[in-house]
Amino acid sequence: MDNTVNSALKMKRKAHKRFSEWVWVIFRACILIGLSFIILYPLIYMISCSFRERSDMNDPTVMWIPRHTTLSVMRETAEAMDFWQTLQNTLLLNIGCSIVQVYSCALTGYGFARFSFKGKKLLFGIVIMMILVPTQIISLPLFFQFRYFLGSPDINLIDTMWTMYLPAMTANGIRSGLMIFIFRQFFKGLPRELEDAAYIDGCGPFMTFLRVMMPNALSAFLTVFLFSVVWYWNDYYISAVFFNNTQTVSTALYNLDSILAQRIFGDATIQLDAREQVVWKQAGCLISIAPLLIMYMFLQKYFTEGIERSGLVG
Amino acid sequence: MKKQRETKHPRLSYERRKSLCGYGFISLWLIGTITFFLIPLGKSLWYSFNTVTIEPGRLNMKWIGLSNYRAALNKDPYYTDYLVDTLIETLWKTPLILIFSLFIAVILNQKFKGRGFARAIFFLPVIIATGPVFKIISGDMESTGNNGSAKFSTMFSTDLVGDLMRFLGIYNISPRMTEFITAVADNVFGIVWSSGIQILLFLAALQNIPPSAKEAAQLEGATSWEFFWKITFPYVSPFVLVNLIYTVIDSFTNPLNKVMERILVFQNQDINYGLASAMAWIYFVIVLAAVGIVTAVVNKFVYYEVE
Repeated sequence: MDNTVNSALKMKRKAHKRFSEWVWVIFRACILIGLSFIILYPLIYMISCSFRERSDMNDPTVMWIPRHTTLSVMRETAEAMDFWQTLQNTLLLNIGCSIVQVYSCALTGYGFARFSFKGKKLLFGIVIMMILVPTQIISLPLFFQFRYFLGSPDINLIDTMWTMYLPAMTANGIRSGLMIFIFRQFFKGLPRELEDAAYIDGCGPFMTFLRVMMPNALSAFLTVFLFSVVWYWNDYYISAVFFNNTQTVSTALYNLDSILAQRIFGDATIQLDAREQVVWKQAGCLISIAPLLIMYMFLQKYFTEGIERSGLVG
Repeated sequence: MKKQRETKHPRLSYERRKSLCGYGFISLWLIGTITFFLIPLGKSLWYSFNTVTIEPGRLNMKWIGLSNYRAALNKDPYYTDYLVDTLIETLWKTPLILIFSLFIAVILNQKFKGRGFARAIFFLPVIIATGPVFKIISGDMESTGNNGSAKFSTMFSTDLVGDLMRFLGIYNISPRMTEFITAVADNVFGIVWSSGIQILLFLAALQNIPPSAKEAAQLEGATSWEFFWKITFPYVSPFVLVNLIYTVIDSFTNPLNKVMERILVFQNQDINYGLASAMAWIYFVIVLAAVGIVTAVVNKFVYYEVE
């Protein structure tokens, strides 16, 4: 008797549990799908707009799927942005700077993680300051510093890649404070025995870093490198300050309005209203982030799993 | 006596050598930081107390004390308004972003079909949101009449949020409320798009919760509600601080925010470097104070596992 009541109660509880689980699954699905849509919406809109003719913009029946597909908008935009030359500039800057910056930041982070020296606290305070100070504060003095490099009026580094490479080489590039911080956390998390063994074998600290620590830190290196590539790719503020004539993908995109106005909308023979211009703008956006998106598709797990393993946690 | 010194000496030199190595490792950064960070920082502070004029080959300074600061706060018609706006916006957006990203991280940490795909989508803003594309996505559409919730509505050529409210029968109960709901709907976009890194960090923290804690909770028969507040939240709390600071800095240093834009006007168009520097420094000091206060307050509620 007691048993049957008990089991009936258990069944009831189980059914209740199953029901609430079910509700949760549906609720979760709704939230995820809805929010995914919010995130993907601009991308879908971009793709949808970039491959349609401008007349479709004023066609009320066209929402997502264009009635007249065309590649010419893409081609015209790429031409106006001088895309291949721009892409080449960007990659040269991007990948080069990211590589040097990852190395210099790793060295610095390792120094802060494993050695004790006088003034370490103060110096690490400066690293934190680097994270906190907005670039806008120092961009102007930096500009003059590069314009008259080493105080000499003859050395003008503006418009050369040195303006990006020099800070990157010395661990002072874009968001390098954050990168030093990440590396410090990461190296602190590695066991000390690794190095002790190398020291006993008579390995110097720099060799130890190269031979023992770096191979162990490979996944952290890759993650930081990928983030660095993204940050350099997306930077338009610093590039715009230091480059007048050299164009990167981001600065081209930043100036997209004026570029388009000059190269495409300037043609007096065709009248384009604001809605029609969107086609070219969206095409510009799409080709500017396409390389990043492709990279993300293939290396997604390094972005997401790398952080988990980089020791930033714990 | 002699022997003692002999044994003492090599140890001292070993420590010395190690500390020298430390300097060696950070020397590259030290050189860079002095030339590309500390000196420019000092110079910009110096500019802010001067009238700066450009002459070929050099900058001319004339000491005017605090006049630039006074001009920024009292005379400029926009600066203080923008400053207050930005502060208020950060104040209400930051908690929303944190709650939202923790919620999403908890969901993305559960097991379900298509989880990898969902994660890939939610981290997508990490890649895009720092760039100029985001500026165009979120700002430029205004010129075409597609902004915020209206943007989503264009595809159905209607006012989606308004329709929803009418459907629920709450449209125009009070214009204030309608406005508020529309504002929240407008900002869902901004909040979702600025939570990428935060979700990533929270998710990493969630995965670091030791399985033993979960087992213990299960054995004790904790409900998921209790589990969240008694297990998940304490473990994640240090990351609330990290994320909080990150969010505050991210929104303050965003080149798209109005204060920054106002500063850049004086840097690039009106060429008043002294005033621009003064504005930047006022702003920076406020940011620093905000981060300091937040850290001090939140640190009291954070649970650190004893190491």
